[in-house]
Amino acid sequence: MNLFNPNRRAMSLLLLSIATAPFAGPALAQDRAVIATVNYPLAYFAERLVGDTADVLFPVPAGVDPSFWRPGIVEISAMQAADVIAFNGAGFATWTTKVSLSRSRIVDTSAGFSDHYISTETITHSHGEDGAHSHTGTANYFWLDFSLAARQAETLAAGLIRRMPDAEASITLNLEALTNDLAALDASAKDLNALVAGAAAISSHPRYQYFGRAYGLDITPMEWDANEAVTEEQWKNLEAVVAETGAKLFIWEATPAPEARARIKDMGLVDIVFPPLSNRPASGDFLNGMITSVEQVKKIILE
Amino acid sequence: MNAFHLAFAYLRFNWIRSLVLVLVTALILAVPIISQVLLNGSRAALTDRADATPLVLGSRGSQLDLVMNALYFSEDRAEPVTMAVTDTVWNTGLGLPIPMNTAFETNGSRIIGTSLDYFDFRGLEVADGRGIAVLGEAVLGADVAARLALGPGDTVVSSPENLFDLDGVYPLELNVVGVFAPTGTPDDEAVFVDIKTSWVISGIGHGHDGVMATGAEGEDIVAAASILEFNRITDENIDSFHFHGDPASYPVSAIILVPSDERAGTILRGRYLDPENPVQVIVPKDVVGDLVDRIFRIKTLLDAVSLIIGTAALAAIGLAIFLSYRLRAREMQTAFKLGARRGMIVRLLAAETFILLSIAGVISLGIVLAVQSRGDTIVAWLLAT
Repeated sequence: MNLFNPNRRAMSLLLLSIATAPFAGPALAQDRAVIATVNYPLAYFAERLVGDTADVLFPVPAGVDPSFWRPGIVEISAMQAADVIAFNGAGFATWTTKVSLSRSRIVDTSAGFSDHYISTETITHSHGEDGAHSHTGTANYFWLDFSLAARQAETLAAGLIRRMPDAEASITLNLEALTNDLAALDASAKDLNALVAGAAAISSHPRYQYFGRAYGLDITPMEWDANEAVTEEQWKNLEAVVAETGAKLFIWEATPAPEARARIKDMGLVDIVFPPLSNRPASGDFLNGMITSVEQVKKIILE
Repeated sequence: MNAFHLAFAYLRFNWIRSLVLVLVTALILAVPIISQVLLNGSRAALTDRADATPLVLGSRGSQLDLVMNALYFSEDRAEPVTMAVTDTVWNTGLGLPIPMNTAFETNGSRIIGTSLDYFDFRGLEVADGRGIAVLGEAVLGADVAARLALGPGDTVVSSPENLFDLDGVYPLELNVVGVFAPTGTPDDEAVFVDIKTSWVISGIGHGHDGVMATGAEGEDIVAAASILEFNRITDENIDSFHFHGDPASYPVSAIILVPSDERAGTILRGRYLDPENPVQVIVPKDVVGDLVDRIFRIKTLLDAVSLIIGTAALAAIGLAIFLSYRLRAREMQTAFKLGARRGMIVRLLAAETFILLSIAGVISLGIVLAVQSRGDTIVAWLLAT
C-alpha cells in the first residue's frame, strides 16, 4: 500500500479509526491522537503541526467539494472519535450543522477573525405570515489570504495543544515553521498589490474573495462549474462582465475543457488555473500549489 | 401442630376477615420501611448526582429550579440563557461547558438536547444501537425504552412546550437510533438528542420544500403560507434543514460546567458573583445539601407522625382482634365444654395471631423488596415531577 497516496491514506485512517472505535472508548485513550479536518488546507496545517505524533483524518473523497460533501454514518463515527475536529467556520461544510460532535473537540479556526469575514449575497425569505428573515452568506475560503491562513494555523495549534498538552513543544516548533512559510507566501503575493492594485479580474466561481482583498485584485465571480460545459447564456454574462469591468485576467478554479480556454482567449482574456485547494490535490501539497498559483498570476501580470 | 391446623382452618373459613387483617397489617408494617427506603434513596440520588456535577450555570433566579432541572430534569426550570454564554465560558479555557436544552417532552419523558460531551461526562454507554449522529436522531434512557417498549428503528414525537401553544411549532418525529445502558439515575428517564435537534423542535431550525418566488423582488423570496415544513428529518430532506438567526442567541436551559481544575472552578464562580449579572454559577452540592437537610428535618416530623399513626393502627388492629375474640366467646365456651383446656384455647388464638402476622410480614417484605428493586426509578420519577 502506498501510504503517500493521499486518498488511500485517508481511507486507511478512516477504516482504522472505525475499526478501533468500539474498543477505544474515549478518543483520548487511543495510542495516537486523531485530528479530523473539514478541508484540505486545515488537513495540511494539521499534518505540518503534529508531524508523526498524530494522525490526520480528512475523509472527503477526491474530486468532491468539501463545502457540500455529506458524510455517512461511518465517517461521522470516525469524526466523533477524533480528538480534535478542525472547523473552517463561517458556514464552510454545511454538514457540520447537521451532525452531532463534541463541543470540546471542535476548533473553529476562523472564529478569532470573524470581524474580517467578507459577506456575500443575502437571501431574504418568509414563511407565510411569519415575516421575512435573511440568510447572509459569508465567503469562507479564508486560506487564500495567507495571513488569515496563518491565523487559522495558529488557532488550530492552540486547539491541538489544549487537547494534547504533552505535544506542546513540538507543535509550537512546527507552527513557527508553518507560519514562516505562510508569511513568505503572503509577502510574495503582496507583490501583486504593488503591480496591479485594484486591477479587475474574473473568476469562474466565487472562491477568491479573500485573495482579491488581500492582494489588490478586484475579482468578479461567475457561477460556472469547471466540470461542466459553459452555456451560451454564461458566455453572454461573461461578455457583459468583461465590458463592465475591463478585466483582462480570468481565473479557473479547475482545469476546464480546451474549447472553453480557447474561447476565453478569443475574448482577449488571459486565463490561468488557480486551484483553491479546498480538497487534496492529486500531487504536491498546499504550499507548493499556492506558490505555483501565485507565481503564475504574477508572471501573467508582469507579461 | 393441631393448634396451627385448627387456627389455619378457622382463618380460611373466615377468609375475608383474615385477608383484611393481613393486608392492613402488611401495609402498616411496610409503609414506614418504604418511606425510609425512598428517603434514603432520594438522599443518595440527590447527593450522588450533585457531587458528580461540579458547577451549573444558568439564568439568575431560583437556584433550586436550576439545579433540579439541569440534574434531575424536573419540569420547573429557570429562564433560558443563550449559547453566547456557553461560548464565553469555552473561550476562557477554564473548563468545559455542556449546554442543555430541556424545554420539551415526549411520552412523559423529558427531551434533553445536549452535546456529545454530556455522554462522556456522565459515562453513558449505548447498550443497543448507536449514539446520535445527525439531526433528528434520539437515544433513549433505559427506563424510557422499557416503558415505551421502543428501540432502534422506532420513533417518538415531541410534545409542544405547553398545551396553549396551539399555533406553535410542529411536533418533530425523532428517529430512535439507540438505547443507553441503565445507570440508576434520571438519565434513564430521559430522551437524548443533539442540542441542534432541540432547536429544530423549538422552530429555530426547520426544513421545507423549495420556496416559491411569488411576487419576489430582487433576491427576496416570499414563500406561500401553505409551505410544508418537514416534521421528520430523513436522509432525503436533511439538506433542506437550516437555522435562523445568530447561533449565539439560541436558547439553553442550563449549562453544566466542568472546570479544568479547582483553581479554574474558583475563577469561574468568581466571574458570576455580581448580582447584576443575569447569569449565575451555582455549586449543585451546596444547593442539594441544603435541600437534603430540609428533607431530613421534615423526615423527623414524618417519623413522629408515622409512629403515632402506626401505633393507632396497631391499637385498632389489637382492638379488632380483641373484639373478634369477644364475638367468639360462645365458640370458645363450646370448645371448653367439649374438653379443650384453657391453655389449648389460648394456643389456638396465639396460633391464629402468629399466622396472620407471619403472612402480613411476608407480604410487607415483598412490598418493600419490590419498591427497593425499583427504588432508583421511583426516586428519579419523584425528583423529576
